[in-house]
Amino acid sequence: MIKSVDLTRIFLTEEVETTALRQVNFNIEQGEFVAIMGPSGCGKSTLLNIIGLLDNPTKGKYIFLDHDVSNSSERQRAKLRKQNIGFVFQNFNLIDELTVFENVEMPLIYLGIPTKERKQRVDEVLEQMQISHRKKHFPGQLSGGQQQRVAVARAVVSNPKLILADEPTGNLDSANGEEVMNLLSDLNRKGTTIIMVTHSQRDAEFSHRIIRLFDGQILTENFQGN
Amino acid sequence: MLSAIRNMAKIKFYSALNIIGLTVGLVTFILIFLYVRDEITYDRHHKNYERIYRIESSFRIGTKYDNFAIVPLPMAPALQLEFPEIEQVVRFAGEENLLVRIGDKEYYEDHFYYTDSTVFDVFNHPLLAGSIDRCLVEPNSIVLTNSSAKKYFGNENPIGRIVLVDNDIQFKVTAVVADVLENSHLKFDALMSASTLAHRPGGEDFNSLDPERFWNIGLYAYVMLNPNSNIESIFGKFPQFYEKYMKSLGDQLNASFDLKATRLDKVHLTSKLAADLPTGNIAYIKIFSIVALFILLLATINYMNMATARATKRAKEVGLRKVVGAERRQLIVQFISEALLLTFIAYLLSLALTSVLLPDFNTLSGKAFTLSGIATPDFLLLIFGISVVIGIISGSYPAFYLSSFSPLKVLKGNAGKSGKANQWLRRGLVLVQFFIAIVMIIATIVVSDQLDFLKNKDLGFDKNHAVVLEMQDTSFRKQAVAFKDHLLQNPSIVSVCNSSGVPSRNLWIQVMLVEQENEMKEMAVILTQCDYDYPKTMRFKFLEGRDFDRNMGTDDTAAVIINQTAAKQFGWGEEAIGKKINYGMELDRSGGRIMKVIGVVKDYNFNSLHNKIEPIIMFISRQPRFLTTVRYKEGEKNRVLESIEQAWTEFGSKRPFDYKMLSEMQEESYGAEQRISTLFLIIASITLFIALLGLLGLSSFTAESRTREIGIRKVTGALTGDIMLLLFREFFWLILISFVFAVPVAIWQITNWLESGFVYYTEIHWYSVVISGLAALVIGLATISFHVVRAASANPVESLKYE
Repeated sequence: MIKSVDLTRIFLTEEVETTALRQVNFNIEQGEFVAIMGPSGCGKSTLLNIIGLLDNPTKGKYIFLDHDVSNSSERQRAKLRKQNIGFVFQNFNLIDELTVFENVEMPLIYLGIPTKERKQRVDEVLEQMQISHRKKHFPGQLSGGQQQRVAVARAVVSNPKLILADEPTGNLDSANGEEVMNLLSDLNRKGTTIIMVTHSQRDAEFSHRIIRLFDGQILTENFQGN
Repeated sequence: MLSAIRNMAKIKFYSALNIIGLTVGLVTFILIFLYVRDEITYDRHHKNYERIYRIESSFRIGTKYDNFAIVPLPMAPALQLEFPEIEQVVRFAGEENLLVRIGDKEYYEDHFYYTDSTVFDVFNHPLLAGSIDRCLVEPNSIVLTNSSAKKYFGNENPIGRIVLVDNDIQFKVTAVVADVLENSHLKFDALMSASTLAHRPGGEDFNSLDPERFWNIGLYAYVMLNPNSNIESIFGKFPQFYEKYMKSLGDQLNASFDLKATRLDKVHLTSKLAADLPTGNIAYIKIFSIVALFILLLATINYMNMATARATKRAKEVGLRKVVGAERRQLIVQFISEALLLTFIAYLLSLALTSVLLPDFNTLSGKAFTLSGIATPDFLLLIFGISVVIGIISGSYPAFYLSSFSPLKVLKGNAGKSGKANQWLRRGLVLVQFFIAIVMIIATIVVSDQLDFLKNKDLGFDKNHAVVLEMQDTSFRKQAVAFKDHLLQNPSIVSVCNSSGVPSRNLWIQVMLVEQENEMKEMAVILTQCDYDYPKTMRFKFLEGRDFDRNMGTDDTAAVIINQTAAKQFGWGEEAIGKKINYGMELDRSGGRIMKVIGVVKDYNFNSLHNKIEPIIMFISRQPRFLTTVRYKEGEKNRVLESIEQAWTEFGSKRPFDYKMLSEMQEESYGAEQRISTLFLIIASITLFIALLGLLGLSSFTAESRTREIGIRKVTGALTGDIMLLLFREFFWLILISFVFAVPVAIWQITNWLESGFVYYTEIHWYSVVISGLAALVIGLATISFHVVRAASANPVESLKYE
């Protein structure tokens, strides 16, 4: 599903050149649940951004669903992204001015799905995340765990092939964190590929494979027995 | 204050927007202020202005009422004789286009007046040379203004020098006075002693109280009352005066007269009389004053808008300051001093800009402001004071708003996310700005439509390809027929006519007898005396009857052509042909020239389109008249003018060759509209500019404050285009709502203007309104596009990382 060849990302500021990723090679198959771990500044987020088609590599190849997107335009990447990828963030990144329903509905609007179908799908996914009773509320009125469930709902509502989660439990207490991890595992069991950046060993336990990054390079890849 | 400067430097973009906006607002305000102040202080430099009145005439002739700025010759001296309230009087009889010779140099002057010797008792004109006491007592005395003296005599001493007027009157310079101040309604270049006229054979006797003289109006007159008298008491006693001097002849003429008067300082702005000197227009003064305040308001709004918009960024600063012990009062002072600093910079810039723009502004306004004239300490202080007030007002809202942030909330990162109310306030302010800008754009378009209309309306005669010559020189005028025949030899000339008036130059009105239901009734009717070729040359369209015809034999004495309105108002309807008009009868109705209507022409606008068409009649003149009109073939103008000039010289006119295009004579009446049109364009541009600054500020704020939301939307699938649409849509609605409010207001105001100023006016085209809305929209969206595009195309990774 995902293949990277000598993936390198260099950031240029006025005077400093920072290499965030150094010739990274990996493959991720459809249906996998991969955790990316490593200390702060090791390049986890950069890698996730490239995987999520939010950023382009400086050098190397990145193949996503058989498309070589290493040098795609922003527009092409955005199109691929909205059809195939859902994001879950540590800080939820919900829009405060929109209701729970509207937040979850957003990806479907950008996919051009008709109103009626949107409503049905949003209701379904809210039901699935057990947050239906809060659909008219604004994010500010919800607890962190509830907000993250909304964010997950938003990520999955368009039935993406891949979900990228950036420290999804970082802002949650352990009970709520566990709940979110269970949701992700459920999704993975139903066939969605999940790539997750995390600091937490406990969260990483939910994955099939852990990629450890250090200074922009892959240190180890551990396959976990199911 | 230090923090104010630092903060300003930090946010260059907003500071620049604010300073530019405030500067433009202030400059506009200053210029309009200068203009308005000048207009409303007309003639106040005369010490006694509060007891000087210009006397004016209200005539009734038959059923026709007319008000004039000029009065009968003997009115002022007779009033002085009868009313002890009057301390002094002075009269000004103007002469237009006067030929003045100094040695072998010739000048044509428009502002020479025959004046009573009492002039300097009434008006204050500083003396520069000679003696003021008896300077206009002797016949053939002349007082020059400083500029005239310089023009005629350079640096030589003008006193005692000779000025030859109209080829035969010699004047001796007895005094030189300072130039008449620009804000005087009566501006003269020279004053000639009225006694000159009285002593000339056949000249008008200035001082005769003969009853007939009371029924001819002809000059401007001013009365200065005693300090404790008032004009009402003269009005109260005027009926007895009328009885004594005017009634018997008035009754014979079926006419009456009433005295009017306007205090000196009110003449310029309130007078709306016939035969007046150029006056101002109080309506425009009101419009401009309102506009000046609005523009200032817009600039102030911008400041408040941008300052509160920045609240998000400032919130943390406020919170920290509060945590380290700043009191709210101190914070308020800080924010207001920031605003004051900006307005002070704008104040300095606006003074500089004003001085740069002054010459152009003079051209536009017809004023003559000088830098030294306006830069008086009290003026500078006033503008400074206004700047300070603006600074305090515009700083106060942000000051109170920003200083109210609770430090706890701010530091937790919750405050300064500018709540919904604040957001609506900011939008509301921009809405008001666009509302004003769109009103101004619509007004500008309609005013310019009206100008086009004025210039292009079918006037009922052909104003193009015709040149009008004034035959001032009487001996030249006597040869008018030969001159005409000579011109007609030129194949490029289509026709030539001679007449007492042409459309837009028709001042002759006289009482005549008009046939009505088998009796002859007195009526005051406008007339043109002309030759056989006048209707043909003007290309009037005949609705009934025929044109003058030399072969008829009697047309030279017994034929009259009237216009449609005359036929209607005389009650003749469709049966005008053959009806009788008696012109030039004696007071006892004997004698006169009895003429029959031979033709009715389609109404033509013989006045500007401010006026409705009145009855006018034309008949053959017994002698050559003042105006000769030459119609030529299209494209032959220059060649024809050359040959006219040649003939002009050959016929020995003592006046240099001069001409006017018939089309321009009509358009001259629209100078005010032309000027208003230009002014509206400028004002509309300024209001739009300030509104755009406001929009720019708001859009940059919106883009900034929505960065995170944009990032989220992009990550969840929005393309750059989707985001741009989202941002544009918000501003689109804002402008659309302003438009919806602006349209009825603009249409209402502009309809008022059209209806009050014109009898004939353009309709307000729907597309003018739509264009103005579209213009505001396109320009508005273009203005915000920079921020929108930048915000929409930013990489979401960046915006989300900041969280």
